[in-house]
Amino acid sequence: MAARDRFGAYADPSLSLLQRAIRNACDPQNYEPNLALNLEVADLINTKKGNAPREAAIEIVHFINARNQNISILALALLDICVKNCGYPFHLQISTKEFLNELVRRFPERPPIRPSRVQHRILESIEEWRQTICQTSRYKEDLGFIRDMHRLLLYKGYSFPEVRHEDAAVLNPSDNLRSAEEMEEEDREAQSAKLQELIRRGTPADLQEANRLMKVMAGYDNRHKTDYRAKAAEEVAKVQQKAKILEEMLQSQKPGDKLEDGDVFEELAGALRSAHPKIQKMCEEESDDPEAVHKLLEINDSIHRTIERYKLMKKGDFDGATRIPKGTLGTTTGVSKNANNELSLIDFDPEPSSNGNSNEGAAAPAVSSLENDLLGLSFQDRVPAPSGGISLGMGASQVTEPISFTPSVQQTPAAFRSSYDALASLNPSRPTSKPSTPVPSLFQQQQQQQQPATATPPPPTDPFAALVSASPRVASPFTPSVSQSPRPGAVSTSLLDLGGLLDSAPAPAAQPAAAPVTTTVEDDEWSFASSLPEASALPRQNKMQVLNSSLRIDFAVRRPPNAPNGRQIHIVAIFSNTTSQALSELHFQVAVEKAYSLQLRPQSGRDIAPLQQNGVQQEMLLDGIDSGKGNSVKIRFRVSYKIDGQIKEEQGMVPALGIQ
Amino acid sequence: MGGSVSKIMGKIFGTKEMRILMLGLDAAGKTTILYKLKLTNQDVTTIPTVGFNVESVTYKNVKFNVWDVGGQDKIRPLWRHYYSGTQGLIFVVDSSDTQRMDEARSELHKIINDREMKDALLLVFANKQDIQGHLSPEEVTNALQLTKLKDKLWYVAPSVATEGTGIFEGLAWLSNNVKTPPQK
Repeated sequence: MAARDRFGAYADPSLSLLQRAIRNACDPQNYEPNLALNLEVADLINTKKGNAPREAAIEIVHFINARNQNISILALALLDICVKNCGYPFHLQISTKEFLNELVRRFPERPPIRPSRVQHRILESIEEWRQTICQTSRYKEDLGFIRDMHRLLLYKGYSFPEVRHEDAAVLNPSDNLRSAEEMEEEDREAQSAKLQELIRRGTPADLQEANRLMKVMAGYDNRHKTDYRAKAAEEVAKVQQKAKILEEMLQSQKPGDKLEDGDVFEELAGALRSAHPKIQKMCEEESDDPEAVHKLLEINDSIHRTIERYKLMKKGDFDGATRIPKGTLGTTTGVSKNANNELSLIDFDPEPSSNGNSNEGAAAPAVSSLENDLLGLSFQDRVPAPSGGISLGMGASQVTEPISFTPSVQQTPAAFRSSYDALASLNPSRPTSKPSTPVPSLFQQQQQQQQPATATPPPPTDPFAALVSASPRVASPFTPSVSQSPRPGAVSTSLLDLGGLLDSAPAPAAQPAAAPVTTTVEDDEWSFASSLPEASALPRQNKMQVLNSSLRIDFAVRRPPNAPNGRQIHIVAIFSNTTSQALSELHFQVAVEKAYSLQLRPQSGRDIAPLQQNGVQQEMLLDGIDSGKGNSVKIRFRVSYKIDGQIKEEQGMVPALGIQ
Repeated sequence: MGGSVSKIMGKIFGTKEMRILMLGLDAAGKTTILYKLKLTNQDVTTIPTVGFNVESVTYKNVKFNVWDVGGQDKIRPLWRHYYSGTQGLIFVVDSSDTQRMDEARSELHKIINDREMKDALLLVFANKQDIQGHLSPEEVTNALQLTKLKDKLWYVAPSVATEGTGIFEGLAWLSNNVKTPPQK
């Protein structure tokens, strides 16, 4: 190391590529920091990983302590670039005791009256790190020594220069939208760097920690595993929230109001604009999950509209702005509404307050009736077993679970919370009632933290399913020009499309992805379907298949001719076993909208012999459905049974009843 | 200067220290070898290593710091974190597991092709020589295609880890062939 200050011509073959690059960057032939060379070093560190950050940090700090001040300054500039471009692995290195001690090695015991240029720059760097990565990094607990060094210098009497926040801001984690893969990658990289450092330090405590970390990285220790898709969904939800806020703010603007520069509008719009390409990228990543893609596209769409409106408003083109269809996801027309009304799909109030959707006159009734349909779901449960009986008792542990497969119900942060609580307090089994979908609400996040990875979520519990909050009601204000052609079997009432949707989702448990997609697709059309043909076009009775897996469920539906008020529907559920194994412990549950009432007769049994047709029957009576609305009734079911020693659970939506 | 004096002193008074990394497929016998080195005369029973073990063994005035990292396929991607500063690689092969020789070969070549392992000595333990149908050290050499290696000091030592035969011979080879410590 005696040759530290000798540079240039002779490339020492014993030096690694990285060392040579650092030498070049700190060569005093550079009169000022050479950004290209510095970035080359940063790139090398990033590509080599492993030991490279450490190697670089040691090498750079040697140059910082060079006798030639110019070299020190060059090295400090290089250090700055590395800190800002190499991320956590390098941060970990600059926060080691070794590095920090070396960094201030040439500081005198007493601070000089006027610090030298190099000292000033070092103090500035430490201050900058303390204000940024030590506070905002996701792994700030690993960077404690920087703070300690700061405190030590302060104690010795050194004063730190002011840090320009704009310069330092780059060290803060960006609040840009990140996809699941990116987050996972970031964490994996941080873990790798940490493991490497722990192994290098090699103290017993470090090694213990390294062993623990290895278990996590190798996937043996899943207790703290993060569900990155859920996190991504959360992030998207945040963006959505921003879009919503901006949309609402824009709509409360009156003609003549001027948007100021640098205000909150601009900030929000900026955030949305940067999220825009990210969402598109996420669409590509999620391409195997059409449901997620669809929702992302929808969000993207709404964000785009909001940005457009912002741009026009900013230009002062108020008319142009109002021409853009109003509404973003999660809000109706942007008129301020309470959270309940916006987001609740489960609500115990059967009469939703009317929906101030004046701009879309035609669509408004449809919207509210859909709300009606979805409001106040409750599950009723009657099995021959003595345990059944009361619907609410089952509620606390089960009301949450069916939610996971239904996109329309699961995105109910606000009101759902209250109902959930209410139910939970009635039932001691609360811990089992983990909402299996990471809905972006605070409450559910907490729930997840309490029970990390209780179980692998079943396939239908897709975090992205939670994204389009309330979209089934409001969805996109644009009517997609997609086919509105009537589907066979469904007659075109205003609820035609809904019928079609239900038709197309015969076995949601079997194809978890398909059903929700259709939901959202259809919802767009649904709001705008307008022709109301004669109700009597529908038959008075119908028979259809509800589930066809190892267990087959058929519904025989009819309007009883002699019903007192003609508002009843009589359903017989017929259960058949399609396998050659005996089926036992059949447990069938049904839920309808709160507006209707459901009566269940006990199941005729709980066991079905192999291949037995019509092994068990159950009668149900639905009350409160006006004649002609029969096709719009939405029913959900859950069924669990034991076959071949395994308990199976399936759930889904009953197709449109297809009757008056 | 100071460093080189202490190096010479180290050579004279025998305070050599070596960082050894022991890798190999799962169930090859790495942990058994490690503890057989450490606890020479005791019986060793092990469970699959999830993570790693590290022990210091002094043999013939050389202090070996032996890192034994689990060999299950989930852990293999983490091996690279242990490379830096390694002077000797012990690659343990189950000689009776002829089916997975190819897998062992590809893993071994992956390791020694890493830049950080380019100066490390390679000692292969052809382990489990007591089991019927085992390959001889020469056959293991061929199966691992060691002869193809250039610029690499390597040696294949037959061993029976459970009885402790052969493992100290391997260490002796390492200590005789280690060059200078890598400290800079």
